[in-house]
Amino acid sequence: MDWGQLWSVAAAPDNIPIVAMLFLVPFFTWMGFHQARANDKLVEQLEADPKLAKTHHRKTWPWNANWARDLHVWPYLLRIEFLAVIIVTVVLFVWSITLNAPLEEPSNPNLTMNPAKAPWYFLGLQEMLVYFDPWIAGVVMPSLIIVGLMAFPFVDSNPLGIGYYTWRQRKVAVGSFLFGFFMWIALIVIGTFIRGPSWIWFWPGQTWDHNKVIYEVNRDLPDIFQINGQPWKAIFGVVVVGLFYLVAGLVIHVIVNWSKFEKKIFERTSTLQYLTFQFFAITILVSMPVKLILRLGFRIKYVLVTPWFNI
Amino acid sequence: MADEQLEKREPQAPPKDPVADRSMSALLMVFSILLIVTLIWALYDEVYGQRPWKSYQKEFVQLYSKHLEAIKPTQKGQEQAIRDSDDYRQLDDQAKAAAAEAAPRLTEINTKVSDIDAQLADVSPPFQDLRAKMAALQYKEDTTDSEGGKQYIRKQIDEVKAEPVSVEIHRDATSGQVDKKEVNFAQLQDIYTGLQSQKGQLISEQIEIGKKSAELAKERDRYFQQHLDGLSDQQVGGLLDKMKKFDYDIKQINLPESGVVDRCESCHTGIREPVTLTAKDVGNRPEFVSHPYKDLLKIHDPDRFGCSTCHGGNGRATTSVEKGHGNYEHWLWPLYAKENTEAGCNQCHDKDRVVAGADVLNRGKDLFQYRGCYACHRYEGFDRESDALADAQQKIGKIDMERDAHQKEIREALAKAGNVESDVEAQRLLHQADSLRQTIASLDANVDQLDIKSKYLMEDQKKFGPNLKDVKVKLKKEWIPIWLQDPQAFRPGTKMPTFRLNADQIKAISAFIWQDALEGPKPATQPTGDANHGKELFKSLGCLACHSIDGRLIDEGNKKLGGDFAADLSRVGEKNSFDYVVRWIHNPRERTAPYCPTEKRDLTPADYQKHGLPYVFDLDHSKCPNDGHELQVQNMTVMPNFRLADQDARDIATFLMQGKRNIQYPDASYMDDASLKEDGKRLVRTYGCAACHEIAGMEDEQRIGTELTKEGSKPIERLDFALLTKDAEAGVDPINGKTLPSPWYNSKGFFEHKLGNPAIYDRGKEKAPEDRLKMPNIYLEGNDVTALTTFLLGSVDTALPETMRYNPASQKKAVEDGWWVVKKYNCMGCHNALIGQDSILMGLSMYQGDGKEQLPPRLTSEGARVNPVWLLRFLHDPSLSDQSGGPPPKGSDAAALGQQPGLNRNGVRSYLKARMPTFNFSPNELQALVNFFMGASDQAQPYIPEKVDTLTADEQNVGRALFTSQAAPCLKCHMTGDPAHDVKATAPNFLLAKERLKPEWTRRWVVDPSLISPGTSMPSGLFKRDHDRWVLNGNLPPDLQKYDKDHVALLVRYMFQMSADEQKRLGAQLASSASKAAAGPTKTTASVNSGQGWRDKVVSSLRR
Repeated sequence: MDWGQLWSVAAAPDNIPIVAMLFLVPFFTWMGFHQARANDKLVEQLEADPKLAKTHHRKTWPWNANWARDLHVWPYLLRIEFLAVIIVTVVLFVWSITLNAPLEEPSNPNLTMNPAKAPWYFLGLQEMLVYFDPWIAGVVMPSLIIVGLMAFPFVDSNPLGIGYYTWRQRKVAVGSFLFGFFMWIALIVIGTFIRGPSWIWFWPGQTWDHNKVIYEVNRDLPDIFQINGQPWKAIFGVVVVGLFYLVAGLVIHVIVNWSKFEKKIFERTSTLQYLTFQFFAITILVSMPVKLILRLGFRIKYVLVTPWFNI
Repeated sequence: MADEQLEKREPQAPPKDPVADRSMSALLMVFSILLIVTLIWALYDEVYGQRPWKSYQKEFVQLYSKHLEAIKPTQKGQEQAIRDSDDYRQLDDQAKAAAAEAAPRLTEINTKVSDIDAQLADVSPPFQDLRAKMAALQYKEDTTDSEGGKQYIRKQIDEVKAEPVSVEIHRDATSGQVDKKEVNFAQLQDIYTGLQSQKGQLISEQIEIGKKSAELAKERDRYFQQHLDGLSDQQVGGLLDKMKKFDYDIKQINLPESGVVDRCESCHTGIREPVTLTAKDVGNRPEFVSHPYKDLLKIHDPDRFGCSTCHGGNGRATTSVEKGHGNYEHWLWPLYAKENTEAGCNQCHDKDRVVAGADVLNRGKDLFQYRGCYACHRYEGFDRESDALADAQQKIGKIDMERDAHQKEIREALAKAGNVESDVEAQRLLHQADSLRQTIASLDANVDQLDIKSKYLMEDQKKFGPNLKDVKVKLKKEWIPIWLQDPQAFRPGTKMPTFRLNADQIKAISAFIWQDALEGPKPATQPTGDANHGKELFKSLGCLACHSIDGRLIDEGNKKLGGDFAADLSRVGEKNSFDYVVRWIHNPRERTAPYCPTEKRDLTPADYQKHGLPYVFDLDHSKCPNDGHELQVQNMTVMPNFRLADQDARDIATFLMQGKRNIQYPDASYMDDASLKEDGKRLVRTYGCAACHEIAGMEDEQRIGTELTKEGSKPIERLDFALLTKDAEAGVDPINGKTLPSPWYNSKGFFEHKLGNPAIYDRGKEKAPEDRLKMPNIYLEGNDVTALTTFLLGSVDTALPETMRYNPASQKKAVEDGWWVVKKYNCMGCHNALIGQDSILMGLSMYQGDGKEQLPPRLTSEGARVNPVWLLRFLHDPSLSDQSGGPPPKGSDAAALGQQPGLNRNGVRSYLKARMPTFNFSPNELQALVNFFMGASDQAQPYIPEKVDTLTADEQNVGRALFTSQAAPCLKCHMTGDPAHDVKATAPNFLLAKERLKPEWTRRWVVDPSLISPGTSMPSGLFKRDHDRWVLNGNLPPDLQKYDKDHVALLVRYMFQMSADEQKRLGAQLASSASKAAAGPTKTTASVNSGQGWRDKVVSSLRR
């Protein structure tokens, strides 16, 4: 267990946001779910007691007689914010005193770093390059992610759960978003802590040996089935991808319609909305882990091979 | 009635509002306190934490002031002692007397001048005012177009001129009385200019009067400065004041042209202080000491070069010691460790083979050459001949191809001309053929020049190791595998490195080398000589300047004696063939067979017979009989020819062959096994043997090692630490696992570990033998590892602009170029060529005490001493004979060796037993050496000899008298050419002087020889100063007493015009005067050598 290696990666100034993310992401997820659970409990309570529902104003507690009806921003919100400001300032002071902005050596165009890593906000994409063809990983996927996020409000037919944390009323949305988000974080974490020289997989605590040599020959799916020459490879690939979409679509359909509530929402969703949702869900959420398993577990690089792009 | 008490039910307190009723005071207080604390922390960090130089400067001021206070009384005392000394008092009195003498008139002048100043102060304002007015009017007049306007303005000017001005002129400076005057402009001008000229005259008189006392005061102060050790009391006081008013700020040196910004002095505040500070002086704070080499700073002013250019480190950083010294991950040029400081010198002095003052670096460069590193690792400057030769050969090859192509074209043109129909066309083709012929002629001229260049380059090109083509005629067969297995066991300290070979590899290599060697012609069989005579010769000829030998073999103790430039000769008898050794000692350059680089093979007698030529090849017969190109006719060794007779060579060889141990060498008959040859050849290629040795068939092999010219700039990622990377980064010793003080994952760590054990980076790896690291074991000691590491660390690709690098002009450049030749041939084994350097011979016991007289001459002033034309001739042939060599004369016996030009002769000093050998320099090297000596003594080139005025008959007599006087016993020591006299001679013959010496040097030499060559047996104090001329120091013969001019000048003129007849006459005269004068001990009064040279004496005598 090479603690030195672990420390040098974790303490690198560029990686401090990632290390912070390792703690912050679970914390805020927990906080969100904590509030979601409280909200869900309240919803249960209010659904059981309609009379209470009429007089309930506050978020989590039923209002009491000697409480003020409205709380003013000053001082109640402001003092919380003030405290927050003080805390943030303290953190900033400490951070700026102890950590200097990283300044490395003058760049040498004749010497490429190994590994040459993108900044953390692009590391997820760089890691995705292992699983997808550059056209897909660099252009298609990011565009689809953005377009998908933009399309989400339009395919969302669930009127409940807006403006407050909830799980029961927003299982699909929260679930799919968290899945995608955690996957993205996972890719970034892999890119930061796991990928070492020559983009080789190093478990945490393994020394990043620049001389490490591995024997991993990747093959394309058509080659495994000994399909040679175009257009056979392309046709085979299209068939496989088509099958994948079908199977994945079915799986998503089953998951999405699991509870009664969700079934009701499903009935409200139009075909176009549902198909759009399925398309994005399959293309982004399902294909990523599937390709990851195919590549890391079975050394399969591409499923669909054409002269113009591969998947 | 029920006993139930009505329970008073406390009204339940209403639940608190979770938002409004919750107090946040505690949290707010805690975090507010935290905020204040971090704020103070941030402020502290900003003001002090990130600015440690503030505290450094404060501490320095304290410590330095304390030190200055401590030395003030000592300096004051010293000062007082000087001021109390008689010499100083005398000078001071003189100065004061002169001042007193001038004082009355000076005071007068001063009063007058102040009076005039007062008057000028009155007159100047109105005058200048009027003048300005007039100038403005004049301008107006000049620029007015109309004549009328001009007239008008002229009238105005006249009015102003006529206008009366009233001035109040003081009568003098003090009384306050004034004279009122009414003057016009012209008068005012007169008064003004009059006053100015008066003042001018008075001031010049003042200077004139004060000159004498000013000069005397200057001399007194000069005396004071020369005798004061350190600073004067006043200067110390000045420094203390400076500390009191110290400006606490970042101290920075900014050099825009090189982008150097050095803030080192912000913490190292004492580095350039005029007081020499040691760590003790400043409270044991090593950062405050003065620069240990202040003299170095005089020629490398930090204000021009900065600090980090030489030392490395991050000059701009000020936040911490690590940052400032560049000892952090991302600064690629950290401060050189103390032992490697001189690496910084090499950045600019990379072309210098010898960098004055940089001993560690010079040792590194020496090792790089003398251990043969340059043979496997290319380094710019070392072994330049090989590269230049390869270049020239390439060019010749290309031109040959061009010539062939042209020949073909000519043939085609002629053929076509024969067939073509029109006359015009035929003419054109014939003309074309003619032009092509002329082109071929010019190509031939080019080839001629390249051939000449190649000839010289081939003469200069040397191999680091011996010629392996000769092993069959030179070595005992069984010795070779033993040597290959462990050279250090046979010859400790040898330069042959130990290749990590297993038994099979050794067998194969030995077999290949043996079978690949030349069969003949064998050296002539030699009769045995006299070993005792050989031992004497060996000790006295100067062999020990380059070679070492076991002291027991030459009856000089039991340690290894001599130089390490060449091989140790203690066990020659075990390895060599006697006949070969004799031929080698007789003439090391004599080769078994010449090598033709164009045909790439060694020529046999048959090749010569084919063209009807005798099998003769030497520097005068160096053309290939087959194709006319230059041959390699010499053994490529730097060992020179000692011009020995055949018998002497045999004697020395016999002596050397006695050096052996009685060891049984195992049978080596496998060396004739042809099946091992291929393997051996492959191995020899793999290990790059041909880089150091001449091997048949591998003359053009390239170096197998990495080029090291810019090794210091190699990025750390390109240095292969292999499996030791982790140990290096963690600072663990790879061999014994101990933790070292710091990590060694840097260039320094890489080089040091590699040089200590070249195979170290193979550690832990499983490799087939041919894949292992090839660099052999070199067995370097600690200091040598440091020296080589320093050299390599300094071998960088510098980013400094050319203006900052060392690009000397003519003389210094000649020295720079000449060093390469001097170091190549180990001149410093016999001679003292560099001030401060002792030759190898100087350290041997046989040259101590009286033996000093037998030492070869010092060369530190050679350039100033000798005529360069003569030097050229001498270096070409130190015997100064005009004989030429050649094969043994017809009719000599079978064992006779080649003829020696200048046999057994030292050209200049025949009384020395040590022999200046013939080096057979090429014209290139000759010129480089001559220029080296001239440049080292700052001589102008070309040398135009001073015209020596012919002596009159009178002067001839006077000169003779001087020469033979008791006070100048020249001929007692100097050679005269008479063998009976010369048996006891210890100095060169005067007949050489005209051609050899420079008159100006001779004059200096005769006055104070011990200044030029300490320890010389030429006496000092032969002449003393008499007013403005040199006079013989002793009883003057009558002829000389009448002579009233400079004796030294006369002597030198006489010397330079000496003829053989005159010398004979002198000899006779000397014999007669010696018999006449009974032992009259008119000894020359040798003056105490106070370091006052000729020049000082002249200057000080002029003053009196």
